[in-house]
Amino acid sequence: MAFLEIDGLRKRFGTVEILKGIDVELEKGGFLVLVGPSGCGKSTLLNTIAGLENITEGEIRVDGRAINDLHPSKRDIAMVFQSYALYPNMTVAGNISFGMEMRGVPAEERQKAIDKVAKVLQIGHLLQRKPSQLSGGQRQRVAMGRALVRDPKLFLFDEPLSNLDAKLRVDMRIEIKRLHATTGTTIVYVTHDQIEAMTLATKIAVMRDGEVQQFGTPAEIYNNPTNIFVADFMGSPAMNLVPATIGGNGSGLSVVLQRDGREPISLPLAGAPTGLSAFKDKQIIFGVRPEALTDPEGAERNASNIATADCHIEVIEPAGSDTFAVTNLGGKAVVARLRADAKIQPGTITPLAFNLTKAVFFDPATEKRIL
Amino acid sequence: MSAVTSPAREASTGISARTVNRIVIYGLLALFALFYLMPLFVMLVTSFKTMDEIQNGNMLALPQSPTLEPWFKAWGETCVGLTCAGIKGYFWNSIKMVVPAVLISTLLGALNGYVLTKWRFRGHTLVFGLMLFACFIPFQSVLLPMATILGSLGRFGVTLQNSTGFSFGLGNPTVNLVFVHVVYGLGFTTLFFRNYYEAFPTELIKAAQVDGASFFQIFRRIMLPNSMPIFVVTVIYQFTNIWNDFLFASAYAGTGDAMPMTVALNNVVNTSTGVVEYNVNMAAAMIAALPTLLVYVVAGRYFVRGLMAGAVKG
Repeated sequence: MAFLEIDGLRKRFGTVEILKGIDVELEKGGFLVLVGPSGCGKSTLLNTIAGLENITEGEIRVDGRAINDLHPSKRDIAMVFQSYALYPNMTVAGNISFGMEMRGVPAEERQKAIDKVAKVLQIGHLLQRKPSQLSGGQRQRVAMGRALVRDPKLFLFDEPLSNLDAKLRVDMRIEIKRLHATTGTTIVYVTHDQIEAMTLATKIAVMRDGEVQQFGTPAEIYNNPTNIFVADFMGSPAMNLVPATIGGNGSGLSVVLQRDGREPISLPLAGAPTGLSAFKDKQIIFGVRPEALTDPEGAERNASNIATADCHIEVIEPAGSDTFAVTNLGGKAVVARLRADAKIQPGTITPLAFNLTKAVFFDPATEKRIL
Repeated sequence: MSAVTSPAREASTGISARTVNRIVIYGLLALFALFYLMPLFVMLVTSFKTMDEIQNGNMLALPQSPTLEPWFKAWGETCVGLTCAGIKGYFWNSIKMVVPAVLISTLLGALNGYVLTKWRFRGHTLVFGLMLFACFIPFQSVLLPMATILGSLGRFGVTLQNSTGFSFGLGNPTVNLVFVHVVYGLGFTTLFFRNYYEAFPTELIKAAQVDGASFFQIFRRIMLPNSMPIFVVTVIYQFTNIWNDFLFASAYAGTGDAMPMTVALNNVVNTSTGVVEYNVNMAAAMIAALPTLLVYVVAGRYFVRGLMAGAVKG
């Protein structure tokens, strides 16, 4: 039995269904990230776990106990809000100890708990300040301190890093990851940033329109997306999704990509998914991540199925650590990720290596993965 | 050459035109300010003059031999109706009526605003709309119904007095006035607080809920300490309105010992016997105006700031 279990959770506002049957589980000490575009219901789902919004159907259990009818303060949870939600009229110490004060914890114990948390987060020198006198990163720490001091069964984070600037966001991300590793707490974390999701999570739930599209480990989500939405949403730069047809010469299958003004590329497939033979001579969506499309010298040595094809390079984007090359296949711009020092010129025709073991195929009608 | 001089000449006429505009604008403003301050000046000057000087001298002239006598007389000796003990008793009547009325209506308004923004229920817009409607009702139209209600409350008070020995203040004119002002102030105070709390971050309330604070704990510990600007605005607004109210005061406490300041002042000025003591009347009027002035001076900067905050966010 998992530590956090969400069973068939539904939420309606009048006739509008916001959450359409969510089933998610998380083991003790796990880090679950709910990720999706805005309006997908991820924050609503977090609020229902916190008890700030009621649910229409289903059950939420923490450590085997159903909590969906309990008041937020009785659920043994702590929450970090997007705006931090620090009480402006109280000092940092007052903010951290407010919850304990409400639960009638004696003053001495409160002081001990404040000192302990202040030490962990290194905010000891800020305790007597008001939130308005803190910087963004310091407020973020205090908000985490307020959550940590409860020592709850479950931590809830609602887009905690989205108000920080880019550099601080990376620092705080590492900080959260370290905190999770050292304290071993169970965390549910909402974000729209797929990099945060990939780096922090032990489990990711990708959501769209109130439904979980895919639930799994970051590697599963990244390498084996179940549909086009997940494939497109996760990863930066996004996966190249190109319309193609499946051709066959003799026994093996091949994927055929159309090109403007030149004959199509045909890439032979070895060990293609069995479902693909049903799509012979039919249209499919061919998905390949930019790092699986590179210059032949930079291609992975031990990949079993690499095919090389000449491509017309339209644009070069040197990003420092890598060079991105844009070509055109099947009427779409396709991004390839090359080594930083790859000798490549825009407007030339250059061979590119397709790592087909990493390629995925989707049915254009259902948008589902062909397995 | 002409090409060089003509723009210069234009510039110089431009400057002079601007100067003329300035003079006209500031002149007009000064004139209006003078016009507006004139009655206050006359009142203040007259209140320090002797009766001889008033009868023989110029209304705008400064007092030849300034005296505080009229102020003392107005405070402690002048006749209000048939009793001649000055207006001091009525001044305290007003204070006793205004302070509870302002505090109760402001606190209830804050509570209403809190519920209407942070604990929304089905039909909250309708409730707010109806409360807003109270702001637009002409008070003359509610005089009679309210008199009937106060009458029944008074009779209920007598019944309570007979059965329990204590009337709970029902039927007391001061309590009646407090009640009336609280009821009719609620529309405005609710409007002020609702608009202020509309922009108040809801995540703070959610955080407090997770922290285990109750409905009233959130109100007292989170909402009220962060409502200082709108609190001051509401207090000033309510204090001025209730202190200056004459209609309800004369209708429900127009006679007797509980008469508020405004009614008493009217009775001082409207005496039909003897010489009209303009200096005493003016001093009494100044005394009647002092508390509202004081409130503005003490809290005025919050008033402007609070109104601005509402304007930007609302």
